[in-house]
Amino acid sequence: MTASSDIERIEQCIPALRRYAWTLFRHRDDADDLVHDCLVRALDKLHTRRDDADVRAWLFTIMHNLFVSQHRRRRSRPTTEPLDDDHEVAASLRPTQEDGLLWRDMLRGLERLPEEQRSVVLLISVEDLSYAETAAVLGVPIGTVMSRLARGRERLREYTDSDARPALRRVK
Amino acid sequence: MSGTDRPVSEEDLHAYVDHLLPPEREPVVLRYLRENPEEAERVAAYRAQREVLRAALASRSGGALPHRLNPHALIARRQTERRMKWQAAAMVVIAFGLGGGGGWFLRESVAPPPTAISGLVRDAVANHVVYTADRRRPTELGADQRDDLARWVSNRINYKIAPPDLSDSGYRYIGGRLAATPDGPAGMFMYQNEAGVRLTVFVRPGSSEPNAPIVPVDGKPMGGCAWIEKGVGFTVVAPVPAEELHHLAKEVQRLLDSRA
Repeated sequence: MTASSDIERIEQCIPALRRYAWTLFRHRDDADDLVHDCLVRALDKLHTRRDDADVRAWLFTIMHNLFVSQHRRRRSRPTTEPLDDDHEVAASLRPTQEDGLLWRDMLRGLERLPEEQRSVVLLISVEDLSYAETAAVLGVPIGTVMSRLARGRERLREYTDSDARPALRRVK
Repeated sequence: MSGTDRPVSEEDLHAYVDHLLPPEREPVVLRYLRENPEEAERVAAYRAQREVLRAALASRSGGALPHRLNPHALIARRQTERRMKWQAAAMVVIAFGLGGGGGWFLRESVAPPPTAISGLVRDAVANHVVYTADRRRPTELGADQRDDLARWVSNRINYKIAPPDLSDSGYRYIGGRLAATPDGPAGMFMYQNEAGVRLTVFVRPGSSEPNAPIVPVDGKPMGGCAWIEKGVGFTVVAPVPAEELHHLAKEVQRLLDSRA
C-alpha cells in the first residue's frame, strides 16, 4: 500500500472522527482539537501501521486513547453546563420541527449515558464498527462491548421514553 | 447445537438491530420476535434509536474541513518544521563560522516553502523516479535532437525553453521528454554525470504563485530544489546531497536567466 492511498483513506475518515469527537465534547473547537491531535499522531505512526488493519478502526483507536489520556486532565466542558450548541441541534438541523425535538432529546439522552456505554453505542450504531472492532478500539473484551451496548441502549430507551414526548411515541 | 436452533440471545437481538446478524440466524430471530411481542417492541425501539442517532449526528461531521485538519497541510507543516529545526541548527554554525554572511543564507532558506513549490517538487520527483530508472530509453528525444525537443516542449507547454548546458557542472545532456502532472504538461530535461548520476530539470508553467526564490524541499525518495518565475515553475531533481543540489539549481537558474 502506498503512503498516498493511506492518506486518502485517512482523509475519508475525518468526517466520522469529527462527528464522534463532537459527541465526546459537544463542542466543535474541542472536538476538532482532538481530531487534530489524532491526525498528527496517526501521520507520525503511519509507517508502523499493519497493512491489514482497517484504517477507520485504527484512527478511532488512536483518538480513543488520546481522549482517555487527555480528558481526565482537561475536562473541557463539565457535563452539567448547558451544551453550547444545543440550540443548533434544534434550530438548524431539522427537516421538521418534530424531528428537531426528537433529535435533541436523543442527543440529551446520549449525553446522560455513562461515557463507556456512550462510546460503544456510537461506534456501533453510528460509525458502523463491528463488535470486534469496537472491542479493539476501546481495548476491552468483546463480551464487555456487548453488555455495555445492551445497557446503553436500554438506558437510552428509558431516558427517551420518560421524556414522553409525543414525537417519540410516534417512533416506537 | 447448530447455528439455526440455538436459543435467541441478547447478542442476536443487537446483531439484528445493527444488521450484523448472520443470514442463517435471521429466521430464528424473526420467529422469536413474532412470538414475543414485548421483545419485538424493544428491538423496534432500538432500531428507531439507531436511526434517530444517525440522523441527529449526520450533520455533526463538521462541514467543510478546516485547514488545520487537512492531512496534506499537516504533512507539509511537519516537513517544514523539521527543516526549520535543521536550518536553525545550521544557522548557528554559519553565524559562528561566517559571521555576517549567515544573514543572507537565512533570508533565502528559512521561509517555509509555499504549497505551489511543494507541488512542483512532488511532480518533478515522481517523473524523475519513473523516467531516470529506465536505463535504455529514459528520454523520448535524445541529445542529438536537442533543438527538436526544445521546439516540441515549448509548443506543448506554451513557454519558450531549451535545455541549459550543464557541462561546466559535470552533467552531460542526454535528452528530454514531455511529462504529465496534475496541473498539465511539463518539460523535462535529463542529464548524467561521469558517475552515472542522473539529474532532471523540470519546467511547468501555470503556477498558482507568481514568483518564489529557490527553495529546497524534502521528498521521498529524494528531494528537489524549486523556484517560480512569472508563474513558470522550475525544479531540479537529483539524488545528491541537498547542498550540492541547491548549488546545481542556482546554476540552472543562472543559465536559464542568461539565455534571453
